[in-house]
Amino acid sequence: MSQEVTPVVSMRHITMQFPGVLANDDVSLDIRKGEIFALVGENGAGKSTLMNILYGMYTPTDGEVLVRGERLFRFDPNEAIRHGIGMVHQHFMLVPSFTVAQNIVLNTEPRRGLFYDFRRANQIVEELVQEYGLAVRPTDTVRDISVGLQQRVEILKALYRGADILILDEPTAVLTPQETDELFDVIRSIVRIRQMTVIIITHKLNEVMAISDRVGVMRQGKLIGVCQTCDVNERILASMMVGKDVLMEPFIREKTKATEPALVVENLSVLDNRGLPAVRGLSLKVFPGEILGIAGIEGNGQSELAEAVTGMRHVQSGQIRILNRDVTGMDPAQIRALGVSHVPEDRIQTGLSGKSDIVDNLVVGREKEPQFSIRGFHLKKKRMKEYAEELSANFDIRGGGIHTPTQSLSGGNMQKVLVAREFSSGSRVMIISQPSRGVDVGAMDFIHRQIMEKRSEGCAILLISADLDELYRLSDRLCTIYEGSITGEFDPSVTEKREVGLYMTGRGEEAGHE
Amino acid sequence: MSDARKKYLLSLFSSILMALVIGAVIMAVSGHNPLEGYAVLITGAFGSERSIGNTLYKTAQLCITGIATAVASQGGIFNVGGEGQMYLGAIASCWLGAALNGTSPWLAIPLCLLAAILAGALYAWIPAILKIKLNISEVITTILMNSIAIYFCTYLANGPLKTTEKGIVSGTASLDRAFRFSRLIKGSNLTQTVFMIAVVTLLVWYLMSRTTTGFGMKLTGENSRFARYAGLNAGMLGILGMLISGAMCGMLGMFECFGLQTRFKTDFSNEFYFDGMLVAMIMQYRPLGIILMSFFFGALKIGAVSMQSQTGISSELILIIQSVIIFFMAAQEGLLASLGRHSSARRANRMRGGVKS
Ligand SMILES: Nc1ncnc2c1ncn2[C@@H]1O[C@H](COP(=O)(O)OP(=O)(O)OP(=O)(O)O)[C@@H](O)[C@H]1O
Ligand SMILES: [Mg+2]
Repeated sequence: MSQEVTPVVSMRHITMQFPGVLANDDVSLDIRKGEIFALVGENGAGKSTLMNILYGMYTPTDGEVLVRGERLFRFDPNEAIRHGIGMVHQHFMLVPSFTVAQNIVLNTEPRRGLFYDFRRANQIVEELVQEYGLAVRPTDTVRDISVGLQQRVEILKALYRGADILILDEPTAVLTPQETDELFDVIRSIVRIRQMTVIIITHKLNEVMAISDRVGVMRQGKLIGVCQTCDVNERILASMMVGKDVLMEPFIREKTKATEPALVVENLSVLDNRGLPAVRGLSLKVFPGEILGIAGIEGNGQSELAEAVTGMRHVQSGQIRILNRDVTGMDPAQIRALGVSHVPEDRIQTGLSGKSDIVDNLVVGREKEPQFSIRGFHLKKKRMKEYAEELSANFDIRGGGIHTPTQSLSGGNMQKVLVAREFSSGSRVMIISQPSRGVDVGAMDFIHRQIMEKRSEGCAILLISADLDELYRLSDRLCTIYEGSITGEFDPSVTEKREVGLYMTGRGEEAGHE
Repeated sequence: MSDARKKYLLSLFSSILMALVIGAVIMAVSGHNPLEGYAVLITGAFGSERSIGNTLYKTAQLCITGIATAVASQGGIFNVGGEGQMYLGAIASCWLGAALNGTSPWLAIPLCLLAAILAGALYAWIPAILKIKLNISEVITTILMNSIAIYFCTYLANGPLKTTEKGIVSGTASLDRAFRFSRLIKGSNLTQTVFMIAVVTLLVWYLMSRTTTGFGMKLTGENSRFARYAGLNAGMLGILGMLISGAMCGMLGMFECFGLQTRFKTDFSNEFYFDGMLVAMIMQYRPLGIILMSFFFGALKIGAVSMQSQTGISSELILIIQSVIIFFMAAQEGLLASLGRHSSARRANRMRGGVKS
């Protein structure tokens, strides 16, 4: 044994007890130098927690961590960074109002005398960009750039701080397939050329197969197995994770017979946060009992489209009609009252109140219904709790019980709370953005079934997703969006994904020439 | 009880204990006997009917101002302007009261109360609407508006509304005897208003914690974008919190003048609102906590006066004790984290029956 090279990271008997939740239960894991290690597992299995411990964010209740044979005495990110560990979190930790360069050099700013040397900072970032091939503009403000770019900033920040062990927590959840490929190229090159070590958490098993050398599976706080990736396949991994087979069967469906659309968008134009046109003269129709998928690369107006339809964003021009009512200019409360529900892409800022518990997050918006309050005034707290228990059970929300503030739930469980609320309000029109972002395969299958169930109840569903597989599985019709306009409409059962991909990037004509 | 709640109470009690210990050390250092000091403080607060009355009244005052702070902050607005709202409530009610002198108190008192509530609420509405519509920091506007209100009332009381009674240099005309709230305990500050204060405090507490309105206000205060998304009228709920807060302050202004003062005097308040605001902040805006802490601080304040006169220990000591409590409560997060780490480590060790290496 002593002949074997010491692992670059060795986590031994790690146990992490949160109030009411045993997040890690005696986990021991060795990571080898120069490997790409994938960590998979159900929502709430403890993946993020384990990696946060390695990065020094949490002090484990028990156990120890060795980096290159050296034991970490303090759990503190600065200590971890000194040991060459870098981490890109599931929910980014950038300062939105700072520039890219300011964010990257934060905490280790170059100075000229007493002052921040911004020219030098920009130069440093330019050099990093050259070196690693991750293109960003140093002077952009982080608030204004896409999530894909924000992620690059996070990675560059870790690299700038000298990380040679890089932890990526669900990096691909927010990326398009193309961006994912680019990211993987970067990962492969830093591992090959610079001998770095990468640990990647993901719910997409095809990615595990594509990029990792070894894979570890977690379930309910325990590490239940570590395999060579070449020895397993997606099905084996899925059943290890969930404890049973996840089939992801295609859905059998009949076309809707409705002739009257439930949602009509006509010639809609909307501005983005910077005041630039995001949606330009867009029109679409969704019929009851139909799912219209919107495929597009992040930042082509789909977020603004969803916000405009649900009343969250000002409509510049055009018209939106829901169930034959003109809702243009109505506020979200009025639109909801018509029977519209909305799963927003941004669960942290928009979809949930992090400080409130699961109960309040599930009931909000319906608290005036007779079942939850007397005369719409006196809250029936007991009924609210029962309701939360019911939904938690139905939607399999896990982690610490119904009085847990949602901000301390795992990412996938946050998403389940949000989905549970929006799917339980008996709506007739649904606007759904990135419904399965960050959820595990089992939960994704479950959410897809919920969406199909809503469809068969006659709901009109506008589905926006960066995941083309998801769109193909669910949509009756598929529209591609590019620079704020619809560039094509397809029947997913007869169209190749590659062709849709071309229309998504505005190169529709090329498809025609083939 | 939830774990977080338990830890919070633990840190609260340890903060109070630390503060009392530090207070004792200061007494000892300045050559007094701490035990004697605290003994006098306690008798000062509870030793006689009169002192009990004073303590209760101070408690009531802290309660209503504390809850006023809490209700605004639940809707997401930090009301630093209660003092000004109180002044306006006081002057409006006293002006109307003086004008109604001679009429039936059954008519006059409700009308004056209405005037006080409207004045306070209206004055709170201005910073609230500025915050909601234009995103102007309410902290700045409310602080500035305090000064405006106090100077404005001082001007009125020395000018247009000044009494014509002989020998009085400032203040509005005396109110009809029938309008005044009488004292419940002779010689103490405890007036009939204490019942009103108790009722209002409990009502607002109920509103905050048990109703759909309070529920909406809480979510708005936590994340107003989320509240809007979820279909709540976030703007209105934020403003409502401020309106209630201002109304409570205006009402207290009237009670002070109709009870103890018998008319508007420019110095009727000794920054009462800020004491209550402090209590609310220490108790993290939790209504029950505010009520309990008001009692503690009320007793300290009243007791300190006797302590100073009988033992010579400066009543400023109370300020130090308050500050130390605030300091420790502010440091709570860090303290809790370290406490939590130790206790969960112990728990895990117990679970596996081992000893920490
Ligand atoms: N700060 C915290 N306080 C309390 N409980 C927590 C905290 N962080 C995580 N937990 C709990 O620990 C468990 C594991 O969470 P973790 O975030 O590690 O899961 P995960 O495997 O990353 O899941 P996901 O795939 O959904 O991101 C969950 O039940 C979660 O509720
Ligand atoms: Mg996670």
